[in-house]
Amino acid sequence: MRLKNKSNAKTAETRKKRLLSMLEQQGLSIYENLDKGKFPQFVIPSRSVSNIVYDKKIRQYILGSASAVRSSRNMSQLRSYTQLAWLAFFVNRLVREGKSSTLRDIYYSSQAFSIDFEDQPESDNIIVDLEAVLTSPREEFHIFPEERSSVFGDLTIEYTVPGYEGKRMNLSDHPDGYLIGPSLSSAELVDTSAELVIAIEKGGLFTRFVEEKVHQKFKAIIVDTAGQAPRSTRNLLRRLNNEMGLPVVILADGDVYGEHIAMVIKSGSANAAHLRELTVPDAKWLGVWATDIEKYKLPTIPMTESDIKRIYDLQKDPRYQEGNWKKQLEVFLKLKRKAELEAFSKYGLTNITDKYLPAKLEESKSF
Amino acid sequence: MSKEVFSQISPSEFFYRNRDLAGFSNPTRSLYTSVREFVENALDACDHRKILPDIHLSIKAVDPEQADPKHYILTVKDNGPGIDPEHIPLAFGTVLYGSKFGLKQARGMFGLGATMAILYGQITTNKPVTVKSCSDGKSLDEFVMLLDIQKNKPVIQKHTTKEASKTGLTVSIVLEGDYSKAGSKIRDYVYQTSLITPYASITFEDPAGEKFHYARIVKDMPRPPTVIKPHPHGIDVETIRRMITDTHYQIPAIDNKMIDKVKKELGLKKNLSPKEILERAQKRWSDISKPVRTVISVMSFLNIDFEGLQKIRIDDIDVANKTITYWDFGESQSHAVELSPDSPYYKQIASTVQGDTLLTFLTKRFQRVGPTTAEKFCEFAKFKPDKRIGSMTNEELVKLADALQKFEEFLSPDPSCLAPLGEEPLSKGIMKFFNPEFAAVWQRNASAYSGFPFVVEMGIAYGGDIPPNGLKVYRFANRIPLLYDEGSDVVLKIVNETEWARYKIKGDPPLVIVSHICSTRIPYKTVGKENVADRPEIERELKNALQYLARKLAVHMSRQGAADMAKKRANLYSKYVPLIAQFATELAGKKKEPNYNQLIRMGSEIEEQV
Ligand SMILES: Nc1ncnc2c1ncn2[C@@H]1O[C@H](COP(=O)(O)OP(=O)(O)O)[C@@H](O)[C@H]1O
Ligand SMILES: [Mg+2]
Repeated sequence: MRLKNKSNAKTAETRKKRLLSMLEQQGLSIYENLDKGKFPQFVIPSRSVSNIVYDKKIRQYILGSASAVRSSRNMSQLRSYTQLAWLAFFVNRLVREGKSSTLRDIYYSSQAFSIDFEDQPESDNIIVDLEAVLTSPREEFHIFPEERSSVFGDLTIEYTVPGYEGKRMNLSDHPDGYLIGPSLSSAELVDTSAELVIAIEKGGLFTRFVEEKVHQKFKAIIVDTAGQAPRSTRNLLRRLNNEMGLPVVILADGDVYGEHIAMVIKSGSANAAHLRELTVPDAKWLGVWATDIEKYKLPTIPMTESDIKRIYDLQKDPRYQEGNWKKQLEVFLKLKRKAELEAFSKYGLTNITDKYLPAKLEESKSF
Repeated sequence: MSKEVFSQISPSEFFYRNRDLAGFSNPTRSLYTSVREFVENALDACDHRKILPDIHLSIKAVDPEQADPKHYILTVKDNGPGIDPEHIPLAFGTVLYGSKFGLKQARGMFGLGATMAILYGQITTNKPVTVKSCSDGKSLDEFVMLLDIQKNKPVIQKHTTKEASKTGLTVSIVLEGDYSKAGSKIRDYVYQTSLITPYASITFEDPAGEKFHYARIVKDMPRPPTVIKPHPHGIDVETIRRMITDTHYQIPAIDNKMIDKVKKELGLKKNLSPKEILERAQKRWSDISKPVRTVISVMSFLNIDFEGLQKIRIDDIDVANKTITYWDFGESQSHAVELSPDSPYYKQIASTVQGDTLLTFLTKRFQRVGPTTAEKFCEFAKFKPDKRIGSMTNEELVKLADALQKFEEFLSPDPSCLAPLGEEPLSKGIMKFFNPEFAAVWQRNASAYSGFPFVVEMGIAYGGDIPPNGLKVYRFANRIPLLYDEGSDVVLKIVNETEWARYKIKGDPPLVIVSHICSTRIPYKTVGKENVADRPEIERELKNALQYLARKLAVHMSRQGAADMAKKRANLYSKYVPLIAQFATELAGKKKEPNYNQLIRMGSEIEEQV
């Protein structure tokens, strides 16, 4: 049994306390300004392209030092300033009361306070603003996207959501896996016998892995990222890596999108550059590599125009400038063909778990 | 068109030859044109006598069940001066009878409009026209007439007289029309006519019985136009020729009637000797008329009395060779008599035959030409100032006409023949019609193109009840709305060339422009008289007027903008600051809200941030 390293990691409880104190600080500052007849303002790190830089040391995109001021003095910003103040106020309630909310919920909730967002993109943007102000992901605000991915394996968690506080649960009890939702995201990770986390791009393969008892054979926790991993999923992967000390490996389709899914789990995405709790810098991309396509004689389909354009785009990204990442992009570009994870089924349904996975895990020890 | 032409063709032939020109090309257009002709006649008549117009227009289907095109009864009633009973058959039953031929601004022009409408009705329905008129405020004459174009005279079917108490005229015809198609244009016409005639009260009852009433907005009539002489820039060779051959430059025909006139003016009862006649004439010279003077001068050279005068025929008066040639019926032979320049009567004869000197002709027959200008002109045109205009050859006439066009020192035409509406009535009309948030009007000074004076007046209105559907232009010429052929009009050209963004006007603004051009001759592009051609002089005036008004609008817009902004600020801060306070109070874990009133006040006051 691998026990959680409490001294090292931030627990859910401490993170909550830190957040609530930041919110209170913001509140006090606004309150005092108003009382003194001064215009309160928020300082928001700038998310403009020119302020997003790749930090090689922590191996993820981060925001530079530029920041913007959202001031209630400026009439054209007054509305969005108030929206941001409202969101801080609303998040404070959510976190204190242990309630969760979705992006869509936020959009509708605002209407009860005569804060009208024109549309959901506007409220989504304000949420990102608050993330930047407080440098915390929205999941800590108890705000979740609609899309959810799932997890399965021997992992015991302890709920912190109201009504379930202290209740424990093992994530191998239900073969369909567990939704990575608000309650799981805010749960404490208690212990696990697993030695590995396998993130897999597709729900179909996730089910196959459970059926094939990959979790037992490889002592693994299996995470379905459902395509590009949602932030709550990336946050969980990070915690499994950080708090439980488990290595993370990634299996995705053999195409440029698959490669980038692995990259985002490893080092984040540009549009979450204002956040630092979402990456697993040591995660390993197992496949499917472009070179695997030939090596394993996988059936392929031709790339589309947009696949090819995407390769060119990624070639400009600093993270793709060297090593295997660079090489695989080049091979994809040369092949102009791609292979899905399901392609292994050509050699039998269990081929991927029996042959490919062990081979790649073996190979991964050397990179 | 001369009378001889009419006498040879049938009414329908006459009508069909002129129908397009006069606007009677189809039942839709004809109904619209007929409405216009009668309404405009009524307005012209009231304008002329300074009567505030009260016009009732009604269109009723003869058989409402029938489909269009069908027969309609069109009636226009006014409170104008009416027409003397003896003139009614002439005015409505003949072509080219009109009282508006003089050089002044009027809606109707050629004495054709009403008659064409009546003729159209008669041809399409075979029904007579009914005219009721009261011109003395005591008796009302009703005529029911059919037109006989061959004789250019009406056939009166019925004439009755009864008592009345008010002057006015009602004309009613039956005609084939298509109201389903013409209706919207007619309603527009009535609406726009009311806008440009704010001193009139106009009621229109449509075939469905719906009434459109436009009440009088102003009680003052605009100054009426006066009839004036032509401006030298505005005439051509043909006009000059007509002016020269005017009757009083000709030797009058010496018939019995003329002889009676001479006797009457001299106060003669019995026959006198030539010498006695001349003596009598000398005494009264300044009182007697020009033709009579001429006859007496001739008698002096021929040395004859009235009896002798009756026996001869003057054949030629040759001033150059100083001879008068006449035919003696009694002797059946021709005689020549010397025209001695020493005689006191020589000048009378010479000037009659050869007309005035060029100098006199210019100063007497044209507007804005005094002796000094006339002399300068003669120098410019290389004519002797004492050149007799009757002695000019064809080539000289062409040269004269040409020089009249080119000479630049004539003062600009006299605009007193124009009748713009005036800034105040125009502005009141616009306020009443559009109830705008902002309006401005401007009447430009008179200007001229090719010798025709014109005045541009324009109004602009913004916001208020005007729907935000984009710019709408109302075009008028001589107080007539121009509704057709918008595309190629000079006013629209100017409006479209304007960069509205420069005047703080964007998108589909609630904006109305009213443009009125008054002139003795509007340069219409087509015979349909619906769009004005782009003469540079007119274009310039329109442009100046529009720019001036647009600038005023821009000032209003920025003033309005600043006021709106301040109001918006105040609203925003009073809405949001209390909310911010509420959120901050809970976030900070406080019980009592901060005192934010000062901030609301400051927010409302500070200048807009860049
Ligand atoms: N409603 C009216 N009241 C008084 N006079 C009128 C009226 N309508 C027409 N007339 C007289 O009849 C004349 C002929 O009218 P019309 O044929 O329309 O020619 P125009 O209007 O071109 O002069 C007018 O010039 C005017 O003298
Ligand atoms: Mg007329």
